[in-house]
Amino acid sequence: MFDKILIANRGEIALRVVRACREMGIASVAVHSTADSDAMHVRMADESVCIGPPPSVDSYLSMSAIIAACEITGAQAIHPGYGFLSENATFVQMVEDHGIAFIGPSAEHIRIMGDKITAKETAKSLGIPVVPGSDGGVPDLTAAKRVAGEIGYPVIIKATAGGGGRGMKVALDEDGIETAFRTARSEAKAAFGNDEVYIEKYLQRPRHIEIQVFGDGKGRAVHLGERDCSLQRRHQKVLEEAPGPVITPEQRAEIGGICSSAMAKLGYRGAGTIEFLFEDGEFYFIEMNTRLQVEHPVTEAIFGVDLVRQQILVAAGEEMEFRQEDLKIRGHAIEVRINAEKLPNFTPSPGRISQYHAPGGLGVRMDAAIYDGYRIPPYYDSLIGKLIVHGRDRHEALARLDRALGELIVDGVDTTVPLFRALLENPDIQSGNYSIHWLERWLARLADPNS
Amino acid sequence: MSDDKNHAGQVEDTSKGDVAFIQALAELLNRNDLTELSVKREYSENDRLTVSLSKQGKQVVQTYAPAPAMALPAAPAAAAPASAPAASEDPASLPGIVTSPMVGTAYLAPEPGATAFVTVGAQVKEGETLLIVEAMKTMNHIPSPRSGTVKRILVDDGSPVEFGSPLMVVE
Repeated sequence: MFDKILIANRGEIALRVVRACREMGIASVAVHSTADSDAMHVRMADESVCIGPPPSVDSYLSMSAIIAACEITGAQAIHPGYGFLSENATFVQMVEDHGIAFIGPSAEHIRIMGDKITAKETAKSLGIPVVPGSDGGVPDLTAAKRVAGEIGYPVIIKATAGGGGRGMKVALDEDGIETAFRTARSEAKAAFGNDEVYIEKYLQRPRHIEIQVFGDGKGRAVHLGERDCSLQRRHQKVLEEAPGPVITPEQRAEIGGICSSAMAKLGYRGAGTIEFLFEDGEFYFIEMNTRLQVEHPVTEAIFGVDLVRQQILVAAGEEMEFRQEDLKIRGHAIEVRINAEKLPNFTPSPGRISQYHAPGGLGVRMDAAIYDGYRIPPYYDSLIGKLIVHGRDRHEALARLDRALGELIVDGVDTTVPLFRALLENPDIQSGNYSIHWLERWLARLADPNS
Repeated sequence: MSDDKNHAGQVEDTSKGDVAFIQALAELLNRNDLTELSVKREYSENDRLTVSLSKQGKQVVQTYAPAPAMALPAAPAAAAPASAPAASEDPASLPGIVTSPMVGTAYLAPEPGATAFVTVGAQVKEGETLLIVEAMKTMNHIPSPRSGTVKRILVDDGSPVEFGSPLMVVE
């Protein structure tokens, strides 16, 4: 086992790793920019090294500074947290070339999953369901009708060269395909100078369901069920829960089994998340995140496991401490992301926290890196904490979340706490009836009740 | 493991006492018509207070090193003592300071056993190498930012340095 681990991150996730290290008797090294000299992860770690000025690119993203920090402290392994260098294959290669262990998957697996096209191909070849589509350009209307008929309506026609919503048209049925196909092509031509289009199944009200997987890097892998992260704003998750309110045990066992055997086949090492869109009982692969996720605590809560500890174990070449048959779901967990942001526009709200009081009691976990008098620097993301509640069932978890939010005090800056209090009063949230579009539509209605 | 001194609440308590102490020093400075005053207090091994007061520009700068984190323990290969001066002084408190542009290991000579690049009292020209900071097996020459005299050398040969660590004073 490692004697000393360097954490190449900041904020609550750096603290999360420090905590796992301490419980395992491993010394921790925090790295920080000059803007984070007073940060909680620096205070809590056993050692700290200032690696650069405030801009991330010169500090938390500086591969050479982080490796030099390992060298001067004698750290044997690096935990990358999430974001920053956590999914950078070049960094992983560099770390391993310096004889330092990377707490995460291999550079090769990160590279494969980091490229959208290779990732989709790999997923498909491993038996993971992907969004059915034309697999390339569709030359004419006859071909378009044939493809659409095969994959089933509704379909979406997208520009091969496109992005940003232009050159995208939906056909609800065969009557609509001709107009949609021609419009998409002419828009594509006008916008991108290339009229080639492809066709995919169109999901109208999908949910974002992701499967937590874990591999030992030697051909053994398990899944830890799903998280429903459909509540998003501009592709940023704001609330996550596990298990998913609409996923049945049979669906979980099936998709989970597909994912774990795919990871076993790949020889995947450590924690990973396979993200899907879910609609009408079907899963469609979006991407794989080859790292620990922000929302991992909801999975930890319902399975009673410490994922960071397992990451460290397998990175050190040891066995993970669970087998698939040991992993049983107990209760329901919900996480909300407390961001230093001012509603209703979610404008970043850096500044000094004059008072902080964390909620407590049964089934409450607060992962934060703030304290009374802490000054939130303006250089990094606005996540200042995560409140995670665990109850015997979803109903109890919701009540506990409401109670815990009432206890939480973060004074001096604006936070997203009022958003969650309002969400908890909504019948759709109470019943779990929401898709990936729900939150943005709800926010739009709040801003303009006539829309 | 961090000790209790690492705890935020403790730091705040000690800080209050320190503020009073510094105020008293400032009065002393004024009363005796001094231009500069520097005090170092050792509370315990990893708990020091360094105060440098200077009338020029009416600056009062305080460095408080409460956490063992600030005193970077030496890597197994490096022989620097944990109480290297690099860890205890605020660069901003020293005029003519040269700080490290990167994390790494400081070397005062081009190779082991060789003559040091500079010694205290040496005259240096702007751009002349003062020392080396090694990071990832790369020897980075640290040039003098100005022409002048090397007044102090604040790091030991082979000691680890952080970004922003004070290296030398060149005036």
